Amino acid sequence: MSIGSLIAAGFSTVLTPTGIFLMLIGVAVGIVFGALPGLSATMAIALFLPVTYAMASANAMTLLMALFIGAISGGLISAILLRIPGTPSNVATCFDGHPLVAKGQAAKALGVGVVFSFLGTVFSTILLMFLSPQIAKVAINFGPYEFFSIAIFSLTMIATLSSGNMIKGIIAGVIGFMFSTVGTDSIESTQRFTFGITSLKGGFDMLAVMVGLFAVGEIISAAETSHHKNDEVVTQPSMKGIKGFGFTVKEFVGQLWNALRSAFIGMGIGILPGIGGGTSNMLAYTVAKNSDKHADELGPLGTGRIDGVVASETANNATIGGAMVPLLTLGIPGDTTTAMLLGALTLHNLTPGPLLFENQAPVVYGIFAAMLISSVIMLFMEFFGLRMFVKLLNIPKYILLPCIFVLCTIGAYNLKNNMSQVIACILFGIIGFAFKKFEVPTTPFILGFILGPLAEQNYRRGLMRTGGSFIPFLRSPISLVFLGIAVFVIVLAATKPLRQKRKAAKAAAK
Amino acid sequence: MSTQKLTFKKCRDLILGIFLLALSVVYIIFARQIQTRPKMTPTYANAQVLPTLLGILLAILSAALIYQGIRSFKKDDGTAVKKMSKVDLVSVVLTFAAMCLYIVILPKFGFILSTVVFLFAQITILAPKEKRNLPLFAIVAVIFTIIAFIAFRIGLSQMLPRGPIEALLGY
Repeated sequence: MSIGSLIAAGFSTVLTPTGIFLMLIGVAVGIVFGALPGLSATMAIALFLPVTYAMASANAMTLLMALFIGAISGGLISAILLRIPGTPSNVATCFDGHPLVAKGQAAKALGVGVVFSFLGTVFSTILLMFLSPQIAKVAINFGPYEFFSIAIFSLTMIATLSSGNMIKGIIAGVIGFMFSTVGTDSIESTQRFTFGITSLKGGFDMLAVMVGLFAVGEIISAAETSHHKNDEVVTQPSMKGIKGFGFTVKEFVGQLWNALRSAFIGMGIGILPGIGGGTSNMLAYTVAKNSDKHADELGPLGTGRIDGVVASETANNATIGGAMVPLLTLGIPGDTTTAMLLGALTLHNLTPGPLLFENQAPVVYGIFAAMLISSVIMLFMEFFGLRMFVKLLNIPKYILLPCIFVLCTIGAYNLKNNMSQVIACILFGIIGFAFKKFEVPTTPFILGFILGPLAEQNYRRGLMRTGGSFIPFLRSPISLVFLGIAVFVIVLAATKPLRQKRKAAKAAAK
Repeated sequence: MSTQKLTFKKCRDLILGIFLLALSVVYIIFARQIQTRPKMTPTYANAQVLPTLLGILLAILSAALIYQGIRSFKKDDGTAVKKMSKVDLVSVVLTFAAMCLYIVILPKFGFILSTVVFLFAQITILAPKEKRNLPLFAIVAVIFTIIAFIAFRIGLSQMLPRGPIEALLGY
């Protein structure tokens, strides 16, 4: 099939009454989850997974993609109106978004944010559509050496880059890996760390682990601060006399270069594992600030310029398309949200990886179509339905979080139709809370848990093929490059304090 | 040094490092006890290999964390330490207790009864004192439970723990 007919098939899979209904719901709920600080895209997908159990795989993925797109964009509402980023992806949106509100240009800030979120998503989805089949074609020839190296590379990137403390990042990854070794060994079929408990034989369920760590852990953490006074009430922005999306065509054209640059940054960062939207918006903002030519006439970025909102919102939404590339082509998630999507795909018997493009092409192109249509829905719903979302922002957390816990329980119960996964969920909730207290990052834990088995199986299969020698792992050029980068990243991160010390000493000498 | 108070934040890395070191030792001991099938897989690729490596790696990393902990412990950075207040601690413990109680009563009393009780209790625990509105919380608990039951059990035909009310309703 040609790519044109595949795309057409994708749209026809999604553009059914059910599909459209699911996207409308998904985008709306996603925006709410994105807008509420403390709730995230990951949590939205976790909570809606049980809803998809009985759905056809195409419908399930349509709903989840709509949630993802809504949630990444929704964070801009609280970033601009409250100066609290809804998700880490919207931190840089606050810098200029809130000053614009102070200037009485709330509608313009929101309009720019929404429109460029849309453009970022569409840009990255179109690139994803053309890029991923090509990568899948190359990846289809990958064997155990390549998969082992890519898994190790991803784990290293995540462990070293996702937190300020490299040791704690790697520790989190190793502990996640350790939890993945519980259960029946897939190569030798022997029991590992099951201690005679029957429900441990299948290992810990990925979804129970993630829901526990993120949702339950978050609720226990919220209990700590729930007694603190927080009377922040979001005020409705005035939309009177606003034409279109609140900005002029000239302003729009003036931002196109900034948007394109930010979209490339977002897409590139999304493809790399472990960095994600939290970094891409900051990086795009910094680049926009450093290359700003109008600082003299309009004031520097950070004083209420739409350039800042454009850079941040285009980049974070472009990260979505980027993050989907390794997920779909290699089965490797780069962050917690794509990890959750990996769980969803597996649950619906779709194994992400190069073969997905051959065996399940309509579903893959359905995902692409859902991303495009959802972003159109997001564009109109988020701007014109703003008043409703702002009202929802005022629902108190002490009511919201217990309700979310009940939904988590339903989801976990339905994994095996018994209480075993609910108990696992609470256990991982405690671990999540402890991680927070000891300032250990949770993302490397999740990725260690997911990528661990991939690394282990390919390592052991590779060694069995080579008769115990590791040399062939280094002879495959692709494997060598990934392992080389992994070593380089570790050395770079480990010597960072040393380099900083030297730099400080040099500065002091000057 | 003598004037420094021992606070959680100060010895956090040290405590974590020691705990993880102990954990890695226990993990390695159990890893060495995993049954292998020498006829099927050679020693270098059996089920013990990776767990042992992971255990050793964790031991090394925890040692590094202990070292880091001791260094930062000696270095008084002078930052104010925010202590967890008694109210916060009580609320965390109560939240945790409510969750545990919920999963204990769920299989016995079924989804509807347990969820109404849990939601009411948990919302009351989390709500700031001046905002406690018990009748409202009770209404929220009942309505949310009914909606969730209708959506998941009836709408999506998913299984939920059964109890007396579910039996009465015929679900």
